[in-house]
Amino acid sequence: MRAGVALATLLDEAVSGLVRARRMTVISVLVIAVSLLLVGTFLLAAENLRGLSETVRGETAVTVFLRPGATDADRAEISRIARDSRLAARVTHVTPDEARARFSAWFRSLAAAAASLPTNPFPESLEIVLAPDAAASAALPGLLANLAGHRAAEEVQFDVEWVRRLRGAVGVARAAGGALAVVLVLGAAFTIANVVRLTILLHREEIDILRLVGAPEFLIRGPFVVGGLLQGLLGGLIALGLLGGAYRALLFWGGRAPENLVALLGIRFLPPVSAALLVGGGVAAGLLGGLIAVRRRNVG
Amino acid sequence: MIEFYRVTKEYHGRRVLRDVSFQVRKGEFLFLTGPSGAGKTTLLKLIYRAERPTDGQLIVNGMNVSAMRLSRVPSLRRSMGVVFQDYKLLPSRTVLENVTYVLKYLGEAPSERRRRAYQVLRMLELHHRMSAYPEELSGGEQQRVALARALVNDPSLLIADEPTGNLDHRLALEVMKLFADVNVRGTTVLVATHDQDLIRRAGRRCLTLERGQLLEGLSEGSA
Repeated sequence: MRAGVALATLLDEAVSGLVRARRMTVISVLVIAVSLLLVGTFLLAAENLRGLSETVRGETAVTVFLRPGATDADRAEISRIARDSRLAARVTHVTPDEARARFSAWFRSLAAAAASLPTNPFPESLEIVLAPDAAASAALPGLLANLAGHRAAEEVQFDVEWVRRLRGAVGVARAAGGALAVVLVLGAAFTIANVVRLTILLHREEIDILRLVGAPEFLIRGPFVVGGLLQGLLGGLIALGLLGGAYRALLFWGGRAPENLVALLGIRFLPPVSAALLVGGGVAAGLLGGLIAVRRRNVG
Repeated sequence: MIEFYRVTKEYHGRRVLRDVSFQVRKGEFLFLTGPSGAGKTTLLKLIYRAERPTDGQLIVNGMNVSAMRLSRVPSLRRSMGVVFQDYKLLPSRTVLENVTYVLKYLGEAPSERRRRAYQVLRMLELHHRMSAYPEELSGGEQQRVALARALVNDPSLLIADEPTGNLDHRLALEVMKLFADVNVRGTTVLVATHDQDLIRRAGRRCLTLERGQLLEGLSEGSA
């Protein structure tokens, strides 16, 4: 038999087998889809936490709110203190008008109220963006004290503990997500293996007949392996579709909220590599399950 | 085509076949007969390698079946058509699928499979039941589907174990005529039956088994 014909026959037999055992196929695919949906949810959460962590790491900033009447000399001196500490990547001056514009963009429902005020209540500030890893430096508390001690500084805002906690949470989420992914993919493989094994047991007589009429061994075992693989692929695609649907629903409802939570938190979907990994996990689980099920002691 | 040399088969120490020797020439049509339990089915099983001889040598289509590796068994079975006593139809497949399955793994195109299956099913008066499942068929119909499956790939050797057991007399004669036609086209035919009337009518060579021993090896009937 030519390779193309053999492959077509294999696929045909696998699909017919799945259709004949459609109830078990549906249950199996749904179990796989739910398992992979959980994996995908963790991947999505880890991806967004990682993104948030990257943002925080890249954009960790100390904000020095200035007293009214601060002079150019005060601003220059505070900037110099920051630069001399070697902890600052750059210093940005934010005027009261710029601060109000930012507030209006973030909190759209309050934008009109902010604009209607007779005077601008937002103070002028200097944003000191820290160099990478400066947030964990032992010299940071000294810099914060120097900045707070300057005569033009009204308040210095920097919550280093929050940043540390966020990084810790990201690490835990990623480790837990990884462990859960392994457990759930193995669980999916186990489910597929049992469904395929049950199918084999139900078709025991049929397998014997196929052997008696001279069916090649690859056409007896092959359809079960390909069937497992197709179940895994279907489960993976359904999980990805459900995750995509949930994400789009979040975009829709989050975007309609007065404060655009999605834009504010920068929530994004799985990158293509992670999406492919999710579906690939389903395929791998299906293939593994199929191979486990057609071992000689099961098929004879 | 088929050569048995002092073939013995034992099951758990009980001899089912003893020192059986005979030869079947290519293109021959012969019967195998004997009472129930004589060893007819076992002898046929040895030919399509569902069983291995305990002793002796067995050659089929030039292949030493007694020493054949398991991986070569499917190709041996594909070279022959077998009608099993209990039909062995695939219960979850339709009549058409049961018949075309053999052609599927021989690499035939779907249209060709359907055409050949239709031809053979029409010949056996079953073309109107192509979409039925085995459980929806009578015993005779199931037997004819098994026959169609054995004939559809135009095998060089056709083996039938009690192929007319569930058929009425008219259909049994039709089936025997069909075997004769297949034989005329060059297929070697070996039919196991205990229907002596059928054997007499056919007037072919007949091997008789009794308690595992071959009594008559070369009794030529009148043509």
